[in-house]
Amino acid sequence: MRSARWLLAAVVTGAVVMALNTPAAAKCEPEKAGTTYPNLVGKKIKIAVDPSTPPYTIRDPNDFEKIVGFDADMARAVFKCVGLQLDFVSGAWSGLLPSVIAGQNDAMWSNLYYTAERAKQVDYVVYMQAGTGALVPKGNPKKLKSMDDTCGIRAAAGLGTVEEAAFREQSRKCVAAGKAEIPQVSYPDVAGGVRLVQNDRADVMLTDLALVDQLARDNPTAFERGFAVMTGFKVGVAVKKGREDLLKALGTGLKEMQADGTQRELLKKYGLDPSLQITSETLRN
Amino acid sequence: MMTVGCGNPSGGSGVPGRSLEDLSAGKRVTGDQGGAAPTATSAVLQGLREMVLYIGSPFLLRGTLLALQIASLAMVGGLVLGLVLALMRLSSFLPVRGIAWLYIWFVRGTPQLLQLVFLYDALPMIGIKLDTFATAVIGFALNEAAFSAEIIRGGILSVNRTQAVAAAAFGMGPFLTLRRIILPQAMRAILPGMANDTIAMIKLTSLASVIFVNELTFRSQQIVSQNFKFFTVFAAAGAIYLILTTVISAIQALLERHFNLELERAATTRSVLARLLGVGRRSQPSATPELENLGAVREPANVVEAIGGPVRRVVSGPLPAHDAVPGHTNGADGAPFVVCEDVCKAYGAREVLRGITLSVRRGEVVTIMGPSGSGKSTLLRLINHLDRLDRGEITVGGGLVGYERIGAALRPVRHLAKARAEARIGMVFQHFNLFDHLTALQNVIEAPIRVYGEPHAAAVERGMTLLSSVGLAHHAHHLPHRLSGGQQQRVAIARALAISPRLMLFDEPTSALDPELVGDVLSVIRRLADTGMTMIVVTHEVRFARDVADRVVFMDNGLIVEEGGPAEVLGAPKQPRTQQFLRLVEREIGTF
Repeated sequence: MRSARWLLAAVVTGAVVMALNTPAAAKCEPEKAGTTYPNLVGKKIKIAVDPSTPPYTIRDPNDFEKIVGFDADMARAVFKCVGLQLDFVSGAWSGLLPSVIAGQNDAMWSNLYYTAERAKQVDYVVYMQAGTGALVPKGNPKKLKSMDDTCGIRAAAGLGTVEEAAFREQSRKCVAAGKAEIPQVSYPDVAGGVRLVQNDRADVMLTDLALVDQLARDNPTAFERGFAVMTGFKVGVAVKKGREDLLKALGTGLKEMQADGTQRELLKKYGLDPSLQITSETLRN
Repeated sequence: MMTVGCGNPSGGSGVPGRSLEDLSAGKRVTGDQGGAAPTATSAVLQGLREMVLYIGSPFLLRGTLLALQIASLAMVGGLVLGLVLALMRLSSFLPVRGIAWLYIWFVRGTPQLLQLVFLYDALPMIGIKLDTFATAVIGFALNEAAFSAEIIRGGILSVNRTQAVAAAAFGMGPFLTLRRIILPQAMRAILPGMANDTIAMIKLTSLASVIFVNELTFRSQQIVSQNFKFFTVFAAAGAIYLILTTVISAIQALLERHFNLELERAATTRSVLARLLGVGRRSQPSATPELENLGAVREPANVVEAIGGPVRRVVSGPLPAHDAVPGHTNGADGAPFVVCEDVCKAYGAREVLRGITLSVRRGEVVTIMGPSGSGKSTLLRLINHLDRLDRGEITVGGGLVGYERIGAALRPVRHLAKARAEARIGMVFQHFNLFDHLTALQNVIEAPIRVYGEPHAAAVERGMTLLSSVGLAHHAHHLPHRLSGGQQQRVAIARALAISPRLMLFDEPTSALDPELVGDVLSVIRRLADTGMTMIVVTHEVRFARDVADRVVFMDNGLIVEEGGPAEVLGAPKQPRTQQFLRLVEREIGTF
């Protein structure tokens, strides 16, 4: 009898705790999608991704047809919260943003940094910040400790990425300072970039910090992180200018994901530092 | 291969089935296996096993299927558009030529990747929104069209022009000629290039990943970016491509064999191809024994019987009997049938015909003689409108051939091929101009079936009769290149007779033959003359002219120098030019 009472108390307490822990779930109003987003509800919102961007968008190793990763899981959670349906459309990274601008896809959600240049063409909802990391061979043979050390160094960055632009900018600085310019290689996918460093075709590869750390952690005998740059880049979802309803849905959903802790959990799940989270905001240029 | 890049062979099970947690094992790009390292052999075996797993993985196979779908649809579209562009490039009309040239110039000159991005991302601005698959198919088809246009044009140009001239002489229109005569012969030159393009396109579909086409290369890259096993995954993708392109190469080999005239086509090859492509053979001797029998049974005694006798009964349907006068030998009935009035023709600045006036009566046999360059062949070509008159007019059977009268002037009609067909003028060329890809019988029945719409069986029956009459029934199923020159020319005569001509034109029919073959051909022509066929024969054979002709016309330098009965012109020429020429011919040929 006594134990039964304790059991009951435990169950009740557990239920209360669970309810308290997920208060934000109540704020998601998927059932109201019909009135809130009359033009979006029932449609498959096409999200452009390049699932070769670990740990943001990546193929599920158990089922290559399925797309997982931090960005992909965030997208699913956000869309579930606002009661809309999504469809991932996968393509090469350099083709993603053009497809959104052309209206072929509705949004790009694939580790996209906010830049003023891009914001002329698309609107953003940002939700985390990025660090940039330099992947170098084990032992850092070229002793690269900051961007300033990269003059005359064979540098690799993704095609059309901000890192690619960063090397171009650094190269100009090098030349201005009377040093050698940077012989730069652009790769189409991350794995291709990793092979450049692995095969001694590049001395450094600049990409997302979390990815660099993961690669160094997974391949301790091959790679290490040369240096990190807290670039302050904001990472977000981009939609074509004028898609106010979609922008609103994304803003609402992301706010809820931050309020109920989903974003933090997902950051942790994919080995990302939870402190990378920033308060979500909608950015229009 | 045994060092880096294969990942850790012992980590991860290959294709599917690895959780994110043990992803790290597979991600070890430099395998430092330490003491537990497997031997090199087992590492290789493990790698091969993984590769085979990837080759069979549905994920990659779906990408393969997509690549194939895009490539095959785009190839069909590209071929059709390419053929149109090739024909435009060959047009005599400058703007048409120019448009095709511009298109090819632009499409060949710009990167295909940019074309795809443009179609996918720029067209929506003007309201044309194509989905990923449609963009890829259209993009590759538009690109392929530019390349295949040049390959097809090259193929068409590789076919001897005489083939088209022969087709035109039998009233075949430009498109019928293209389809039945030119393209089948051009295929040999076209096929290798097209196979190249097909293979290139299958591989190039990977470009389309930028417009969200998830084909084979893209998918393999995606797997690699997930597990970093580039060696096994890319090797698997490479193997799949190799399998696809091997199939294409095999199809190419079979098709090339099919279009190779030099190869004696064995029945087995044919049936393999037929089974593979569902293509039937043109005519199979073994499959038509009744034809052989027909030839044997119905072999007429001579060409007179074949043309003047049974032909009238054999010919049925839309083919009327020719206007020869049966039983009427070597003479004319007086009514003018071919009338040339002041015919002039110049090629550029060179005047070839300078005012020819000549009439040929029904049933008359006229031989035209004269030195090379005197305009004899040109006159024949003007009579059946293979060339256009500059001045004057020619009527055959009272009607113009392919001209309409606008006031005093003549203007070519639009449907020239139809006009030629209606004129029913049979022509025999110096170099035979048989259709090289068709058997003797097929050469004979081509125009009756395709131009005059005669039923196939009737045309074959009549074709066999005609071939028998020129002594070639047993060669009916041989391609021209297997026949001697004399045999080819006799087939050519049978082909001309098959359209039931009202008039036969012979353009130096024996000039290209060895001396011992001349006799056979001349005897056929002689027997034909005996049937009362109206004939104009350009020849240097003086004895033939003397024996067969009702009238001999001697031409020189674009004018008729002398004409009259053979005894007059050949026996007692009045004009010094004629005398000189005849002396020369006698000395050289010695047939007099």
